[in-house]
Amino acid sequence: MLPNEIEWYFPSKINEALKLIKRQGVILHAGGTRILKTQTKSVKGLVDIGGLELNYINEKGKSFHIGSAVIFGEIVKYSRETGNLKMLGTALSNAASTPLRNRITIGGSLKDFPLWSNLYAPLIALDAKINIINSKNTIIPIEDYVSKGIIKSKHIIKEIVVPSDKNLIWGVKRFTLIRFEYPLFNIAFSLKMKDEIIEDARLVITGVQGRYKRFKRAENILAGQKLNEELIGNCEKLITPKFIADYKYSAEYKENVAKVYFKDLLTEIAGRK
Amino acid sequence: MRLNFNVNSETKELELNSNETLLDVLRNNGYTEVKCGCNEGECGACLVLLDDKPVNSCQVLAMSIKNKKVKTVKGIGTLFIPHIIQKTFAKAGADQCGFCSPGMVIASYSLLKENPNPTYEEILEGLDGNLCRCTGYVKIIEAVEKSAELINEKN
Repeated sequence: MLPNEIEWYFPSKINEALKLIKRQGVILHAGGTRILKTQTKSVKGLVDIGGLELNYINEKGKSFHIGSAVIFGEIVKYSRETGNLKMLGTALSNAASTPLRNRITIGGSLKDFPLWSNLYAPLIALDAKINIINSKNTIIPIEDYVSKGIIKSKHIIKEIVVPSDKNLIWGVKRFTLIRFEYPLFNIAFSLKMKDEIIEDARLVITGVQGRYKRFKRAENILAGQKLNEELIGNCEKLITPKFIADYKYSAEYKENVAKVYFKDLLTEIAGRK
Repeated sequence: MRLNFNVNSETKELELNSNETLLDVLRNNGYTEVKCGCNEGECGACLVLLDDKPVNSCQVLAMSIKNKKVKTVKGIGTLFIPHIIQKTFAKAGADQCGFCSPGMVIASYSLLKENPNPTYEEILEGLDGNLCRCTGYVKIIEAVEKSAELINEKN
């Protein structure tokens, strides 16, 4: 139960929803899991996005357009049934639990970016773009959405555009002690290859200071090289995430685990090739 | 206020407040087979099917489910006409205190409907949102395996 009585709105057009969320204390409702978790007393009204027709996954060219009302469970199912969106599907299959994945929407998770989110690391590694609507309709890289503070503005997320991972080598991993637990951090990487040579690399971690970090120096030393033990060792030295210590782990401990995770994933790939 | 809900294939007018969860509304209107455990979406005691998908009813705001179909464990089978899964759970000793059983049955029903021949790993994933503090899960997993076998035989 939420602390206050709520005024509910059920718009059928995005513009109507946009007008409503400009009111004081009125926010969007998709799956509702985050709203119930935070129990914010300032919430007076909820705008349900169920009628906005944002529940779709469409393949267009080499990208997939995922409407913001799509639940995690649908993305996992789509990924398993079609063989597309494997990286995102793998990451989200480990998020929360089966029944919660049937409520958590991609739009809600994008807007809130909880530190434990399994969503952002693969999206940044894939260089996904986000389509948001405020006074205008804008498509921006997911990194800009977070790093330029757009995430905090009042807007509606229409969809996320995820490039195909079919020709990429990728990996995702999260740090938890048991399967059903909020991860302390998530890592993801994607490598674009040509004849066993890395053309482009993206290495990402979430759950760190500043929400996420890309290791651009490590990405630069990987580009143009063949993946081998020495290169992975050099890359590992440049993985320097800045964590905040918590009641379980020191920042240094988490940094070391992150280094090992990246190293293990890259070594596994090098061994497979 | 009073609103119409579709519960167990019947349209019912239920009393609710705008800030209540589906769990609150169901239990306050007599559907006490839906159990309140953690109230945080962790334990799965409150599972119901919402348009055939298992959800934690404690994590669903009731006002948001307009035009959706809710099914509780009694919509799957009752004491007098139990579903194969319910019979198998009882026979296999998969319930002890029984508090988690409605949620376990809902999760198993949904899993077997989607995937009639789940592997051990797939059963673990299908029940990953359900906690049981009595059985240690072994008998529950055996009951799901046996239910799959019996449902497939029947079909």
